[in-house]
Amino acid sequence: MTELEVVREIDPSASVAAEAIVGEFCVVGPNVTIGPGTVLHRRVTVTGRTTIGSGNIVEEGCVLGAIPQDLKYAGSPTLLIVGHRNRFGPRVTAHIGTEAGGYVTRIGNDNSLDAGCHVAHDCYIDDRTTLGRNVLLAGHVLVQTGAVMEDLVGAHHFTTIGRFARVGPRTPVRRDVPPFTFFYSEDLERVPPAVRDVHYEGIKEARLSPSEEAELLRVLAELFDDESALQTKIEQLEKMGVEGEAAALCEFCQRSLRGVYGRYRELFRGQAPPEAAQYLPPEQQAILWRTRP
Amino acid sequence: MPEISRHAVVEASAKLADDVRIGPFAYIGPLVRIGPGCVIDSGATVTGRTALGAKCHVFPLACVGAGEDGQVGECLIGQANAIREHVTIRGGVDRPTCLGDDNLIMIGCQIGPGASVGSHCILSNYTQIDAAARVEDHVGTSAFTFVASGVSVGTYTYVVGFTGIEDHAPPYAMVQGFPFRVRGVNTEKLRRCGFGDDDVRALKDAFRELFNQSGAEVDAEAMARLAAESNLNVHVRRLIDAIARRGPGSRT
Repeated sequence: MTELEVVREIDPSASVAAEAIVGEFCVVGPNVTIGPGTVLHRRVTVTGRTTIGSGNIVEEGCVLGAIPQDLKYAGSPTLLIVGHRNRFGPRVTAHIGTEAGGYVTRIGNDNSLDAGCHVAHDCYIDDRTTLGRNVLLAGHVLVQTGAVMEDLVGAHHFTTIGRFARVGPRTPVRRDVPPFTFFYSEDLERVPPAVRDVHYEGIKEARLSPSEEAELLRVLAELFDDESALQTKIEQLEKMGVEGEAAALCEFCQRSLRGVYGRYRELFRGQAPPEAAQYLPPEQQAILWRTRP
Repeated sequence: MPEISRHAVVEASAKLADDVRIGPFAYIGPLVRIGPGCVIDSGATVTGRTALGAKCHVFPLACVGAGEDGQVGECLIGQANAIREHVTIRGGVDRPTCLGDDNLIMIGCQIGPGASVGSHCILSNYTQIDAAARVEDHVGTSAFTFVASGVSVGTYTYVVGFTGIEDHAPPYAMVQGFPFRVRGVNTEKLRRCGFGDDDVRALKDAFRELFNQSGAEVDAEAMARLAAESNLNVHVRRLIDAIARRGPGSRT
């Protein structure tokens, strides 16, 4: 048997931590940073200006940091930032950001992305989310902490998946999913997906105080038990006074109503979203503000 | 000289233009021709009797031109196509798989043997195009679209996500569902492609007449009435010609 002498290609200017493991047939590009304890399995490609933190597991065939699938992208040095302890299943793809969308795609900490997931340009995934098999996020999507998206979910661009929300399998998400809800349709051909239930496991996972939990459940029931106008119900609730997570839920729904087709983040179309400033290095921010219309 | 990574495998009889770039661990088969300005990224496979036009970009781990069951397939690909990560384009054995120019084939798409895709199409992630299906120019699909074997998707049509096209889809339309229904005119794309307000309005009026409330069937009377009209808008004429060509038994 012949033994291949070199079976991985790491660009000399890439900064790969000594404790990181890069598997066979991996390709690591010149502007890539990989933190300690991160494991790249076989045939992983990491290109673009990509920063991967520590303790991540990247399984076979993943491609991180390729250019966006956006026809407006003209080659600017945008970023993909990955935090710590994430798990990328086989064939996960994540793209760098675009100029118009705020320069950065960001994946936080402790997320689990199963096989075939796609994270498009300018997406923000917060912490501890779970994405099932072949979950597709279009551009500019925000997935908040603790959200669960089951297999074959497709999220429309500019949607927001709220904190600890759950999206049922094979669901097209075309508008924002409020926090702590279960978003699903049992018969896609007849009924568009909508909030069907409360995501009780999510509430448990959020570890709220008993009083806060009770208030949240009350507000969730108030908002989603009947189909009357959400706006009036929110106004009534706010008049009576809501606090904590329940207030955040009302605020979330209000924002979605203010957006376009129930998508709050459509309001940031063509400009950098507020999250961009948080993750961009200073020199990149300077470009951002200079190019802002 | 082409710029070939020392880890790439390029068969000696493959014909590469001078400025082609081949990434590490890529494989280029013996019967492949690659045009000028093409980039083949790491781990991509181009094999079979495949011709890639100028300025195509094949992204990591895409697989172009392999025939089914080990047969040698043929695959003709035009210019300036972006073939993204994990895309599979099968080579056709009886007739070649064809791709026009300037297409964006997004991540995970699969194009079956003998299928043809026109020009300026945007096929979104995980679009599945079965063997011998025909996708005409300027078609857009959304995620998880499925086009069945042997059917066609008309020009300027947009297919909404999670839709199964199991019968011919008319041109200029927006289609959704499984079985799919015509939802209306794909006005956004038409405007982007420089259609005037008159054309869009004429198409909208024709769609309202042709497709019943559910968008599942074509109204035969409206069809006959429109076909008999003498100074019909050129695009409406094309629309009814396209529907008429498919003959009886076709659902739309």
